[in-house]
Amino acid sequence: MAQIKIFGYADKISVKPGDTIQFHVSADGTSTAEAHLVRLIHGDEHPHGPGFIEEEIDCVANGTWRVEKQFTQVGSFLEVADPDRKLALDGSITLCAFIWPTWPDVGHRQCLLGRWDNDKNRGYGLGINPSGRLEFWVGSGNEVDYLQTELPLQKQAWYFVAATFDARSGRATLYQEGVMNRYNSLLSKVAPVEYRSHVSEVFRFGQNNLSDTPFLVAGSRDWHALRGHFVSQLYCGKIDRCGVFDRPLGRDELDVIRSGGQPPSYGMVAYWDTTKGYTDHGIGDVVVDIGPNRLNANGHNRPVRAQTGYNWNGRNDCFRLAPHEYGGIEFHADAMIDSNWKVTKRLELPETLRSGAYAMRVRGGDGKGLAEEYIVFFVRPRVPSGRIALLFSTATYIAYANERFATDGHIVQPMAGQPPTISEVDIEIYENPEFGGGCYDSHADGAGICYSSYRRPMVNMRPKYRISAFDLPWNFPADLSILAWLEHKGYDYDVLTDEDVHREGVAAMAPYACILNSTHPEYHSERMLDAHEDYIAGGGRFICMGANSFCCNVAFRDDEPWIMECRKTGGHWIAWAARPGEYYLATTGQMGGIWTGFQRWGQKLVGNTFAGEGFAHSQPYRRMPDSYDPALAWITEGIEGELIGDFGLGNGGAAGIEIDCYKLGFGTPPNTKIIASSGGHPDNYIAHDEEGAHAHQGFSGTHNYILRADMVYFEAPNDGAVFATGSIAFGSALPINGFENNVSQLLSNVVNAFVRPGPLPSLLHKLQPSTGRTENVA
Amino acid sequence: MLPLEYDRSQDRDIVVRDRFDNFRRDFLRTLVTPEMIEEHRRSPLGQHSERLERLLIYFRQRPLDERYAVKVVEPFRKYQVVRLSGHRGTSPRVVDEAIYASANEACHGLFLRCIRDLLEA
Repeated sequence: MAQIKIFGYADKISVKPGDTIQFHVSADGTSTAEAHLVRLIHGDEHPHGPGFIEEEIDCVANGTWRVEKQFTQVGSFLEVADPDRKLALDGSITLCAFIWPTWPDVGHRQCLLGRWDNDKNRGYGLGINPSGRLEFWVGSGNEVDYLQTELPLQKQAWYFVAATFDARSGRATLYQEGVMNRYNSLLSKVAPVEYRSHVSEVFRFGQNNLSDTPFLVAGSRDWHALRGHFVSQLYCGKIDRCGVFDRPLGRDELDVIRSGGQPPSYGMVAYWDTTKGYTDHGIGDVVVDIGPNRLNANGHNRPVRAQTGYNWNGRNDCFRLAPHEYGGIEFHADAMIDSNWKVTKRLELPETLRSGAYAMRVRGGDGKGLAEEYIVFFVRPRVPSGRIALLFSTATYIAYANERFATDGHIVQPMAGQPPTISEVDIEIYENPEFGGGCYDSHADGAGICYSSYRRPMVNMRPKYRISAFDLPWNFPADLSILAWLEHKGYDYDVLTDEDVHREGVAAMAPYACILNSTHPEYHSERMLDAHEDYIAGGGRFICMGANSFCCNVAFRDDEPWIMECRKTGGHWIAWAARPGEYYLATTGQMGGIWTGFQRWGQKLVGNTFAGEGFAHSQPYRRMPDSYDPALAWITEGIEGELIGDFGLGNGGAAGIEIDCYKLGFGTPPNTKIIASSGGHPDNYIAHDEEGAHAHQGFSGTHNYILRADMVYFEAPNDGAVFATGSIAFGSALPINGFENNVSQLLSNVVNAFVRPGPLPSLLHKLQPSTGRTENVA
Repeated sequence: MLPLEYDRSQDRDIVVRDRFDNFRRDFLRTLVTPEMIEEHRRSPLGQHSERLERLLIYFRQRPLDERYAVKVVEPFRKYQVVRLSGHRGTSPRVVDEAIYASANEACHGLFLRCIRDLLEA
């Protein structure tokens, strides 16, 4: 009997009661599964805490579901809309393109462009064969004729390549010329490498086209008995301007195109000018055909636009400055931004559903291990009612989706200060490319993954999951410890997500007197960052619960908020580095990287941000003199002694994992006070490289006071205020001892003060010191 | 004298890395003592003595296919030691039948295996 495996996702991440949500499930080894709606309360199974807690919720979708194996198309490619079959050319033909292959020696055929059916062996194609050489082929159905160049293609080198076929003579030619300049390729001209190859042969027959074969760029059509048509022979690399002609272009004509001249209009069937359609605010998925038939191509699995082209010369660093130098479209054989599975179940959510973190729990067989799936989503109230909102960092969840640190990351063990602790599901996603990667992974060809989405199973946005690299609950499952604390304390709260804040701006936050965010609020679009700033400046009271806060800049399209773009650049704290000239987000035209690059340090918003990270052991905070200021005594009221949080589910302390510090030079508001601070972290905590222009000895925890979590507080205009913990581990300390501990006490003090209408206790103290006592009023 | 097979490796960086690691291992072997192993057993994570930290940094920097990991058999109850493949698509393989009752104990079992590799290399 086959092992039962269940995976799924929802079409939405944030919904309201009464909304319809769709669940997409794939199952191996079973045709039925038991589904039940649950409200999630605590996600960390660590035996020192309350364990996993869920609440079963009645709904019409509960019960037995029919499930099936679903297939996923991985790989990015372009498909040409050609309803009149203009590209079903039966006679002479020319195919041409500028290409920059990243993995020519992968060992299987890669189709660059063509109208080729891989199952029926019919049509024509230009590609790279298993020996890494340019190849042109035509198929009659019975047989295929091939022509290959004499030299393997070099990786990361720009070429202009073409294939011509003269139907009258049967003569086929291949044209391959390097078009390197001083900037655009891996090697310079001092490397004695031959790029040129011109070969010719007489084919025995011409192509025989099927009527329904699509013309594809970076792949070709294939067929499988269970899944039907799909795309295989996927290409890894960039393609710049490419075209199709219905006659064999001469060598001199191809030389003109190679040199940057206009392609001839005579015989042109299609010519995709990959630099057309750019705007100052981004680039879409449509690739424009400037030929007579307007056969535009559409991207699948989001081919990467805004990439440098064959003629990039190093002077400009953005497609907005020189679009004609940014014609490169980059393809990856393992790109995946939407599983596109059939809908397994639609559910109209009950109107009575309270706001919270929910999941559709789907179990097959015994429901153990991979036979259990939690499809997580968040329910906002139809009308905000609570004074408190818990803001889940869904952008961060998308960034880390299905990360493979433990199995693929060379640097992760030295960072983590420990070997990885991997589970069954980590192995599953390592073996199977259909899960896709996140923004911490690289494609198999070595390029960083810049698109991630929630329309596929995200195995680490689940309760119970522990990140294998650090053996900790990470992001969503860790954030549930904050939710469980709100539940335990009896606060009336709503939940929000990053998606809500991105789409609605400050309006999503404004109804709440106090907003707590999550343990790791790292990724923010410009709109999200603006909304936070406006909320706090407008009198909102904000508790930044985590660390590495407000660091990374990302972008979403309005019509596809489930897909996030992230370009890693700036500093050394990045999982991969965008290539030179490719720093800008195709989604918006804005530079990617970290908000530090825009003079929008997290300190300007919440008083502290990234000092460094390490994962081996956490520390307690020690109270600082500001905590003894009578005007601020309400924050630590009821806390005995100097240490706060010498315990926790996050490596034994409330201060650790990733930690944020106060810094006036980076915009910490000058009235900010440090209530408590950690320090003396192990040496696998390394300071952020902004701490010194040069890396040098003494950057690590036991040597460097910068490596600390600062618990900070400041008052903002209009009775607004910010309290920031400066530590990812803070939230995981809350559940210790049945939520009765000094971290919990301190957070209660702050929340109670923040939700109470009127002036903050510090201001009241200045007016009338005896009124500083707080009480639970939520 | 380096073995001739290095002449067939296009990436000469590997030759340099291997020579560097040979020198490094010669020194690291001198650091291994029963006291240091006991220090790790008592506390596999966190700040260690200088000599233990130096060994751990080396173990964590090995090529991926020479590194080990802890595998969860049953959360918070049963763990094993596995060796990473270093190749996406190929799962880690179990190195022996030993079952550990905690992640920390497995982490120490993994450390002992690294020590054995070092001393035998």
